[in-house]
Parts: sequence; C-alpha cells; structure tokens
Amino acid sequence: MRKRKPQYIVIGGGLAGLAATMKLCEDKAKVTLVSYQPVKRSHSVCAQGGINAAIDTKGEGDSPESHFYDTVKGGDFLAHQPLVRDMCYQAPAIIHLMDRLGVAFNRTPEGHLEFRRFGGTLYSRTAFAGSTTGQQLLYALDEQVRRYESEGQVKKLEWHEYLSAVLDSEGICRGAVLHDLRSGEIFTVKGDAVVLATGGPAQVYGKTTGSTVCNGAATTSAYLQGAKYANGEFIQVHPTAIPGQDKLRLMSESARGEGGRIWVSRKQNDNRDPLNIPEEERYYFLEENHPRFGNLVPRDVASREIHDIVYNQKLGIGGQPMVYLDLTHHSEGFLEHRLGGILDIYTKFTGDDPKKVPMKIFPAVHYSMGGIWTDYEDDGNGLIDHKSPRNQMTSIPGLYAAGECDYQFHGANRLGANSLLSCIYTGLMMGPGLIQYSRNLTSHVEEVSSTVFDQARDQWRGRMQAFKQMNGRENPYILHQELGEIMLANVLIVRENSRLAKALTQIDDLEIRFKDLQCPDTTHWSNPAPSMIQQLHCQIQLAKIITKGALIRNEFRGAHYKPEFDLNQPEDFDPHEYVEYNEKRQYGEIREDEFPPGHTSYMKRYEECNEKWLKTTIAEYQNNQPEISFEEVNTSLVQPRPRKYD
Amino acid sequence: MPDDKTIHLKIKRQDQPDGKSYWEEFELPRKPRANVISCLMDIQMHPITREGKEVTPVVWECNCLEEVCGACTMVINGKVRQACTALVDALPQPIVLEPMSKFPLVRDLHVDRSRMFENLKKVKAWIHIDGTYDIGEGPVIPEKQRAKAYLLSECMTCGCCLEACPQFAKDNDFMGASTFSQVRLFNMHPTGAMEQEERLDAIMGEGGIADCGNAQVCVEVCPKKIPLTESIAEIGRETTLQLLKNLFLK
Amino acid sequence: MSSISKGQVHFFLLKMHSLTGLIPIGLFLTFHLLINSLRTVGVLPYQWSIDLINNLPFLIWIEVLFIYIPLLFHSFMGFYITKVAKTNALRYRYPRNWMYVLQRLTGAIVFVFLVYHLGTTVAPKLWFGHHLFEAAPFLIDVMNQEFATWTGRIIYLIGILSATFHFANGLWGFCMSWGIIIGPRAQRNASIVFILFGGALTVLGLATVLEFSLHPVDVEPSFKGAP
Repeated sequence: MRKRKPQYIVIGGGLAGLAATMKLCEDKAKVTLVSYQPVKRSHSVCAQGGINAAIDTKGEGDSPESHFYDTVKGGDFLAHQPLVRDMCYQAPAIIHLMDRLGVAFNRTPEGHLEFRRFGGTLYSRTAFAGSTTGQQLLYALDEQVRRYESEGQVKKLEWHEYLSAVLDSEGICRGAVLHDLRSGEIFTVKGDAVVLATGGPAQVYGKTTGSTVCNGAATTSAYLQGAKYANGEFIQVHPTAIPGQDKLRLMSESARGEGGRIWVSRKQNDNRDPLNIPEEERYYFLEENHPRFGNLVPRDVASREIHDIVYNQKLGIGGQPMVYLDLTHHSEGFLEHRLGGILDIYTKFTGDDPKKVPMKIFPAVHYSMGGIWTDYEDDGNGLIDHKSPRNQMTSIPGLYAAGECDYQFHGANRLGANSLLSCIYTGLMMGPGLIQYSRNLTSHVEEVSSTVFDQARDQWRGRMQAFKQMNGRENPYILHQELGEIMLANVLIVRENSRLAKALTQIDDLEIRFKDLQCPDTTHWSNPAPSMIQQLHCQIQLAKIITKGALIRNEFRGAHYKPEFDLNQPEDFDPHEYVEYNEKRQYGEIREDEFPPGHTSYMKRYEECNEKWLKTTIAEYQNNQPEISFEEVNTSLVQPRPRKYD
Repeated sequence: MPDDKTIHLKIKRQDQPDGKSYWEEFELPRKPRANVISCLMDIQMHPITREGKEVTPVVWECNCLEEVCGACTMVINGKVRQACTALVDALPQPIVLEPMSKFPLVRDLHVDRSRMFENLKKVKAWIHIDGTYDIGEGPVIPEKQRAKAYLLSECMTCGCCLEACPQFAKDNDFMGASTFSQVRLFNMHPTGAMEQEERLDAIMGEGGIADCGNAQVCVEVCPKKIPLTESIAEIGRETTLQLLKNLFLK
Repeated sequence: MSSISKGQVHFFLLKMHSLTGLIPIGLFLTFHLLINSLRTVGVLPYQWSIDLINNLPFLIWIEVLFIYIPLLFHSFMGFYITKVAKTNALRYRYPRNWMYVLQRLTGAIVFVFLVYHLGTTVAPKLWFGHHLFEAAPFLIDVMNQEFATWTGRIIYLIGILSATFHFANGLWGFCMSWGIIIGPRAQRNASIVFILFGGALTVLGLATVLEFSLHPVDVEPSFKGAP
C-alpha cells in the first residue's frame, strides 16, 4: 500500500504561514496555502528593524539565556518560560537558516552577519537587512514555498478567505470553509490539520500601523467555534507614528535618539505654523516632566504622556491628536547623514520635509501580544519537546496557530525585533508536531462523512448570502470606523475602568446597529462587501474580548496601564532586592526595616499583585459574550521580579 | 490648490473581466494628508457619484499602505504608481484612476498579476538549499555585494516596470525587467549561482531577455529605484556568454 | 546534442538581428559614407573608389552574402520587433523611450529609403549592364540628378539621418544586449561616445550631399572601352 501523505491547510502567507509550509513540505506533506492576496504581499513586509538572535559575534557575552531573560522580563513575566527559552535557543539556527536562504542581511567588513542594538537589551543581537528586514525575510520564505509549489507539493489559494474550521462530530478540526473572493464561491477543503497564521487584529482599532488584511477575523472565527482566546487586552502602542488618513506609519525611535524634541503649543487649538510659535509658548512636556530622560523616556511612558497631552489637556496640534517631533534645530547636513532614509519616509507620505518643518506624530496601535490560545509541551529541561503534537495547537483539536495570531511569546509587552523571530520560530517549530499529529490520528479525514463538510459549507453559504442581502440603513465601512474610534478612545494607552465599561456598552450598541447594515454591493463577481461585513462581525466580537479583558484585569502590567492600580515603585528601588526578599521570606515574615523605607511594603504589594494577576486571561465565547477566566503562567525558570529600566 | 475644499476623482470602472468599462466621477471633501487610498476609503463610506447617483464602492487592491507590499499599484493621472504614496496635494485635479492595462482585469482597479509570479517560477527565483536543519552559517558575502543584492531584493513584484514597458503586452509572453532582475539577484548569490545555467536557459527563449527593446522606462518608473537596466545588461552579458558556451563549448 | 527548441531559435534570431546591425550592415554603412565623402575631396578620388569597388572579384556574391541577405534579415526581424512593440512615449516621456520609438521609426524609414536608393542605383546598373568602369559615370550621373532638386536632397537627408541615428543608437542597444556596457555610468559614457560617432557619420553624409548639390560634375569612364 502506498504510504499516505499527510496534508495540511495553512491559512495566511506571512512569515509564520510560509515557515510552517516550508517545514511541512520538507517532511513530504501536501499543503494548501490560503491567503487574501498573493502571499508575497503579506503584512510581514512592514517590519523594519530586525530579528533577534544571541549569536554574540562581538564578544559581549550575550547568550540565548540572556535573550530569554530579557524577553520574559520585557513581557513582565506573563509568557510561558519554556517556550520563550526554546525560541531563544533556536534563534541562532533560524538566523543562519534565513541567511542560507539568501536574505541580504547586513554584513561585517569580514563578510559575516552584522548585529545591532535594539530596545530592552544591552547586547548587539539584532540582525537586519537594510531598513526592510521583514520584507527580506518574507521574500526568502516565499521563494522556498514557490519552489515547493512548482514541484506540486503546495497548492496556493490566493484571493481566498478562511471562514471557519470544519469540525466533525467529536469536535476535531478536519478542514476549512473557504471563500473565493473573486467568484464568491464558498467551498470546503479537507486536511489532517489546519494552521492559522493570520497575523494580528489591528483593524479592530481602525487606523494603526497594521495592514488592511490584519483584521483578526480568522482567529475570532475560531473563538466563535469554541477556541480559547488569550491575553487579548495586551496591545502594544508605538509612541511615534505618522498620522495619515488611511493608516499610521511608524517613525523610528532613532529620530528621538538623534535629539528629536517632542512639544506642543501651550495654547489649545493653536493653528499657527509651528515655525511661528515662539520658544516660550512651546511646551516640551517630556523634557519638563522627565528632566533626566527627557525625550528618550521608554516607549510606554512616551505614549502615555502624549496621550495625556492630547486627550486630557487638549493641547494636540490645532486640537487634533498630534504632537510635534522636532528635528529642525539640527543642520540639514547632519540630519541627512544620520537619519536620511527614515526622514525620506516621512516626506514620501506627508509631502513635508522634516529637515525644515517639525514632524507631526502620534502613538499608534502596533502589535497584539495576545491571540488565540495555543498549547505546548516542555521536555522537562526548560525547553520544548519538538515532536509533541500539542505544540501550537489551539483548544480545538487539529486547529493550530502560529505567529502574531497566537499569544505565547511576548507576555504583556513585546521587545523590538522579537516578533519576526517568534513568527518564524513557531512556523518551523510546529512542523514535526503536526506530522506527529497526523500519524496519531485514529481516523483519517477521508473517513469523515461528507455531510460534515456539506453542512459547514451550506451554513456559510447561508450566512454570507444573508450578509449580502442586508438592506438596512448603516454603512459597514462607517461602522468599522466608529468601532476603531471607540477602541482608540477607551482601550488604548491609559485604561480606566469607567471608560472601559462605557466602551463595552458602546460596542454592544454597535452590535445592535450591525443588524441594520446595508450591504453596499450586491453583485456576484469580486465583491468585497459581504466579506467585509463578516470581518466586521468578527471585529465586534474581538473588541469585546479585548475590552472585557482590560476591564477585569485590575493591575498595571506591561502594555496594560491602569493608573489606579499602579504599585508606585519607589524611585530608588533595585529589582535585585526582590530576589533577596524572596529568599528571606522562606524563613518567615520580613520586617519593614530590612530594606530601605517603603521598599518592603512595595514588594509585598508586588507579590500580592502577582498572586492575583500573573495569569493568562482566557476568553471563551458563551451567550454572545466573552466569558473571562484565568490560567497559571509557567514561571518555572526565572522568578518574576519588578521591572525597571534605568 | 491647497485652498480648494474638495477633491475631484475620475475613476475608470469595470464590473467584470469581460465587461465594458465606464467612467465615474466623485467629489470628496478634502482632508489633510489625504492620499488616493484614503479617497477610495471615503468612497466606500459614501459611495455616491458627483451626480448624486448611489453606486457600489470602488474595488481595488491594497495592503501595507507603506509602499513595501506592491498591492495598490494603479495608473494615476496617466502614470503607473502605488496609490498609497500618491498624495492628493501633489496631484493635479481631477485625479484620474485607471487599472493597470497590461494585466487581466478583475474588477474596477483590481488586476491579476499572477503572470509575474509564474515567471518567478520559470526562472527558479529561489536558493535551492539542502534542508532547513541547522548545518551552520551561510556563505561569507562581502558587504558591497550584499548591498547590491539588497537593492535588487527590494522588488515587491508590483508590476510598474511591466505596465510602463512598451515591449510588455497582454498578448505576448515577455517576462520583463522585474524577472530579469531577479535572475541576476539569484545568480549573484554564492549558493544561487549553482543553478545559474537553468535560470539563464529559462530566459533565453521567447519572451526572454533578447526581446527587451531597451526603452528603459522600467527603471524610470520603478518605485524602489532598482537598477533594472543594469540588471538587464548584466543578464545580457551572462546570456551572451551562455550562448557562446552552448555553441562552442558543449 | 539535445534538440533545439523554438524558444532557443527565437533567442538566437534576435541575437543575430542585433549582431547583423553591427556586422556587416553597420560596418558597410560606415565605409559607404566614408568612401562617398571622398566626393568632397574631389570627383576623381570618388570615381576611383567606385571603380575599385565595382571591380572587386566575386562582387555579386559579396554583395548578396554580406549586404543583401543580412540587410533583408535585419529588416525582416526589425519589422517583427516593431510589430510587437506598444509604444507609449507620449505617456512616459523619458529620453530613452523616445529613442526606442525613433529606433523603430528610423528603421522603417531606412528600409523604404533603401528600396528607393537601390532601385535608382543598383537596379538600373544591373539592368542596363553598366558594369565595371562604366558604373562610375552612371552612378555619379544619378546622384547629380538627385541632388539637383530639393525633393532629392530631402529624401537623401532623411535617409542619411535615419541611417546614422539608427546605427549609432543601435550600437548602444547592441552593447546593452550583449552585456558590453552594464553600469549606469558605463551606459551614460557609451551613449556619449555613440552620439559623437553618429554625429561624425552624419557630418560625412551631409558633406557629401552638400558637395553634390553645390558642385555637380559629370565624369567620363576611367578606361574607355575597357573589357
């Protein structure tokens, strides 16, 4: 008998999806790769900075162990430690692999890989390819997958949308319902397992640094089918983005690094040309409020300050949510030499020359640490058992997830240049487990009754038809914009319970209005409107997950900032004290005077807070609402301790 | 005209690949920093023409909106470019939007550029590696050569070079500048060079490098400033040598 | 040896099109204009050069093999290439794109001109049997008549300008196609060299036209009654 070839369906052609496809093909599997668009256009292309791996080429004493520590610390200890550690240990091999695939990584004079420093670490561990590392990595994987495609192992279904998983009577995922975005045809494909590699949920916030396809619909669909969604409330905001009518584009932190000053006019609704605003009427709020760090305060602090200036003090430029990032005090020659390429991006998208006029910037939603819940199996030595079919599996058997759409690697806050790593790592790492999963299956997909597939297909045909026939008064694109506005106003940088609760009711209102939608296009060929309505439906559900998670989590952790629950770390506090505190605690109660004044009580507060909140938020779909519960985080390798970046 | 309060758009539309095209005009309130994409988004929210007729929202392709994915390529005021970098304030009005003319039309401004990806398959635009397992570092590459390769590998398969190429047409099979440039990219890489002959053979046929007419519009319209004509000349040299080799050394 | 595919033939023919433009056609054009310009030195050197050429052994074979066949091949391929082109220089107004259009246009013009030129010179020469030393007086007479009228002068001006442009620009294209010049600087420098070269050829041609127009001189056969 001919050996049965395992077959998989991979949804999404970004770094994670392509890495998984490549790895599975190497194991002789057949893969159906589904994407909204040609996979080469996936959102991974937007990543600029680089990819981390502790290869220590500069004798700094870097190691995967340090990389691991920096990552869990950066994430405020909310990530499962064996997974993060395994990722960091695999990172050097991943960089070497990508290098072998032809990625044009910058080189040293001797021709080896060049590394540079990035936020949240003291080591040079970020490999980079010009200013488009994500694009370069994606292209390399795209090329490998194209090779397998030309050899017949991969079948690409571009211009197709994933609608849901096909679950058999036992709740096992046996395939996917797909939607041909051109013909409008809805059909099912069969597979041993389905991998979601569908990226982040940026579109829930409307205008962000995300791409238009980052709509979060696929993971939400899984959630609506019963999969757990985890840590949804952890959304990273980048402090400096270029506002645009269509999207927000990143302005690199290096602009501040080179002396960029952030300011607004002291007068509200000041519409004057910034060059005509005299020095004494300018409010350099970061410099005034943080005399020591000035404009170079960490990202989260900068974001919070700008948010406060615009929304509470209403000092945004001309009343708009924008502040100045000013480099005009430098000579044009200096700026051209130090920041040329980055400033060109600003000119390209705004038409203004930052060498002559101050840039207008505002924080923007950038990354979701949370995502669909996935499993893992450690090997008992603080690393991952790579053969385990549990790795990256969602709570629906046979449905897997990888990349930004899962939740496991960045805890409460992601460090720069770790996202590309986690995407490629998950895609590659899950391969052997998926193969094993196929082998373990007691009944194959061919044996599943065809009615299972037919029912799933018919149900979706009905659903999409119903969306198409909606004939109410609301325009879905406007509703989507309003959803984004609700989220940006209430569930962003500074979170207050009253506003979160208000946002929840606003989202509920929106859901009611959703029923009164009018599908603006009822034609049959290449009609994006029904899909857009289906995605909007998912985004409303996802907005509820994010908002409710944020409402319930009463603490300040990483990107989730609730001033009400700030533990007020004493200024002279040293995180090592907490290690000492823990040792002493084993021998009984600790007296207040054993540490500097106020430190013991702070550490007690910290300990209590962790006992209560150092947990993964789990959202499950029940009665059209997310039901929130909490799960333990694996902190078996490094003791959680207070964060402090001097 | 910065004092103007509105934006006037003229869009060439077509409902079906084999349908008839027609023009529709829209007038939108001018917003600061608007680009063509944001105008199309505004039309989605208010799909009403200048004459007050309610129509379907315009269909187009886009994704990253940062000019790195290549999706939103279209013909704007007669020239092919990405819609995301087409700032309204820098464009004379009315702003005329048309789909790319050299690729099969899907709907409105959305075309099918599969031909470009098929060509990448034909020329084996990849590095054939032994496997993904950890076998250590990649080849040592001088930084200068790396920088050259980087320029070429920024190609986002947007198709500007082909749309503007007088030699490239729907009814021929010319591969065009982007494909030749990718052949050069992979032939430059120490591992990729091992498949150089196969790649050159693939472009030494109908639609291949010899069909290039040297109009050099490709390099003028490339949004990434890729040295396409340099690639064409370099590939010209490689194929010439390959021809001589095929004729006299085999 | 493996069989040759249609695609390989296509590639080879296009390469040959590019090559024949230089060797022999371009070379012939250069010598033709150079030798004709002897007319500016005096009518005798010019006549002797015609005598020399017309008395070459195996002349007809040389002409057929090295001029007419390559010329026909080059023209045929040229029309094929022009047919495929979808010019767009009005939309994409870049210098090189204009050159691309002009190259095709001048090719067609030169072809028409050559039909006329050969029809008025070579065809009657063969038809009436003006062989050997009688060719020179006949040909010079034809030229004197051509350049006596503005129509003739303009036809020849257009023909010569088209030919020199087509050749000089084609040389640049040849260098690109065969990978002789690659970098942007090399491309720019080469185009300067070829502009100068094309200019020089044009000057030769124009000087000859001018001389014929200003000083028409009839000549007798160099050797009366020669066999």
